[in-house]
Amino acid sequence: MIYFTDGSRNGFLTAFVRAFRDEDAYITSRQKQLALGQESAFVEADDALAARAEARLSAIDRRCLSELDLLLRSGADNREQIAFRYFKKIAQDRRPVRNLFSDDAVLAASECMRRVTFEIHRLHGFIRFMESASGALYAPFSPDNDVCDLLLPHFRARLPHFAFVLHDVSRKKAAIYDGKNSFVAPLDRAEVLLSADEQAWQALWKRYYASVNIPSRERLKQMRGYMPVRYWKFLPEKNAPEL
Amino acid sequence: MDYNRGMISEERLKILTESAKYDVSCSSSGSARKNAGGMGNGYIAGCCHSFTPDGRCVSLLKILMSNDCVYDCKYCPNRVSADVPRASATPDEIAELTVDFYKRNYIEGLFLSSAVAETPNRTMENLLLTVKKLREGGFHGYIHLKGIPHADASLVREAASYADRMSYNVELPSESSLKLLAPQKSKESLLTPMRNLAAEAKRFREEKRKGAFLPAGQTTQMIVGASPETDGQILRLSQSLYRVAGLKRVYYSSYVPVVHDSLLPDRPVGQLREHRLYQADWLLRFYGFSAEEIAPADADLPLEYDPKCAWALRNLHLFPVEINRAPLEVLLRVPGIGARSAYKITEARRFARLTFEHLKKMRVVLKRARHFVTCDGKFYGAKSETAVRGLLAATENRNAVQLSLFSDEENALKALTGEL
Repeated sequence: MIYFTDGSRNGFLTAFVRAFRDEDAYITSRQKQLALGQESAFVEADDALAARAEARLSAIDRRCLSELDLLLRSGADNREQIAFRYFKKIAQDRRPVRNLFSDDAVLAASECMRRVTFEIHRLHGFIRFMESASGALYAPFSPDNDVCDLLLPHFRARLPHFAFVLHDVSRKKAAIYDGKNSFVAPLDRAEVLLSADEQAWQALWKRYYASVNIPSRERLKQMRGYMPVRYWKFLPEKNAPEL
Repeated sequence: MDYNRGMISEERLKILTESAKYDVSCSSSGSARKNAGGMGNGYIAGCCHSFTPDGRCVSLLKILMSNDCVYDCKYCPNRVSADVPRASATPDEIAELTVDFYKRNYIEGLFLSSAVAETPNRTMENLLLTVKKLREGGFHGYIHLKGIPHADASLVREAASYADRMSYNVELPSESSLKLLAPQKSKESLLTPMRNLAAEAKRFREEKRKGAFLPAGQTTQMIVGASPETDGQILRLSQSLYRVAGLKRVYYSSYVPVVHDSLLPDRPVGQLREHRLYQADWLLRFYGFSAEEIAPADADLPLEYDPKCAWALRNLHLFPVEINRAPLEVLLRVPGIGARSAYKITEARRFARLTFEHLKKMRVVLKRARHFVTCDGKFYGAKSETAVRGLLAATENRNAVQLSLFSDEENALKALTGEL
């Protein structure tokens, strides 16, 4: 049976309990084509049931709930199913299994989490702020995984005296720091009035990027491997006329 | 943070960057400096902000304060006798550039170096002034500072107290080559300040003073292929730099003929040689190998196999090893198994006996490893030693061509004819 959830954590945990004994269960928050005769149900999040499941899982493995948070942030279509198989394994084995790499479910979950945490690390480097006329910093980006709020601690520690907005344009939301507090808010489109010097700094940066390259040692494949093309859209040095 | 406003011009930025780019050190790791009320902090694992078309990462703003040099090192594009455009920047300009780039998250910090302008002391003072200005202005991002040979020890020590990492380039792998190609630098002018800084860091630790002196330690760089030293000699030098001088990294820069001189070769060194040296360097630092195991003193590293493969082929009597039993340090010596795979194997085998299929699913690269391991008693490699050699060399060649590691025609031809 296919269990549709609303994508929330409690929705997943509710479906997890309901689907636990179903050998053919598939949990998803995406639309999915049903095979002929396949049963499906929409699972309403049940907060009390979810809380009980959480308590039981964390009694077996204290760290597994923060892993659930990472898994549900994944941009993969089958993220709920990956999480389901991993948590089912934990519940069945009644012990932490995160390093049981010979098991498919564990391996899939571990890869999925690695993609999320690796993207966070990448974005620590690839985020590009532009300075607005008010001095606040604005960075649009379009991550594979839903991670904009997980970038907040890093940039807050670095730039405590600057207000900044990390705008996930594809999910239409933003992680915002106002100079005191940080929060997440829906944000469709932002109109940013740039500071007087912003264009000049971007030009200097592009000039720097072009100058530090050694043209006689071109290795484009390596560059793309480290910095995939899907991130280029928001990098001033990669989407400007060549210098 | 207020500096005298006055953005550096694109033209000068270009000259000062192009003069600095052959310094290969790029890493921003090793420092956990805290943000003490201003801007920026250290990122212990290091962070790459961009990648250039040559495949290198951009982590730090790598720039010279001046490229107007009084020295005449033969291999250097900025030597006094070279006819190149000259420029310099003021401490204010560098500080402002660093802060404004950092704020936009373009960079992880500053890598500041300089040609020897006027005198070594005058140059070192300028570097010191810049880092001091940055730190006193509340900048806590990463700073890698280049040491100027022959500068006063007290100046160097003060500058180092503001930096995360400092480096003196040994430039060439032997004293005789240094004398020939960099007449104004001497071995002592490079090694003595390194030793002084290491001693200062040690004092700092022993007195349990707050913070750390050069938290990311020291590194160095040498040019490979401008002089006749073998890889075996180079690796022995690196090993002593790691063990005795306590350096964090040695960088190798394959020689690129930017200037013509009768004392220098006309051809660039194939980047494959540089690649092999880095592989060997990793074996020294992370895999428990010694330079003596990797290459004889009078020989280069083989180009057709990676150094670990070459070592394993010389020591076939130690293989195959059983994946389910071999200790970590033995797994790390299996060609194709890196630190990450070795960790996965040692963790996973606590739960279940691992088979060849398991390893495949765990994404352990088995192209090379399968000839050197057994999985649950079964061997999946080639039957004879000759076959193993053939298979390993063949895969290496394909990779090498794909990555276009051959920067010169001679090597490319050798690769085609199979000589390499």
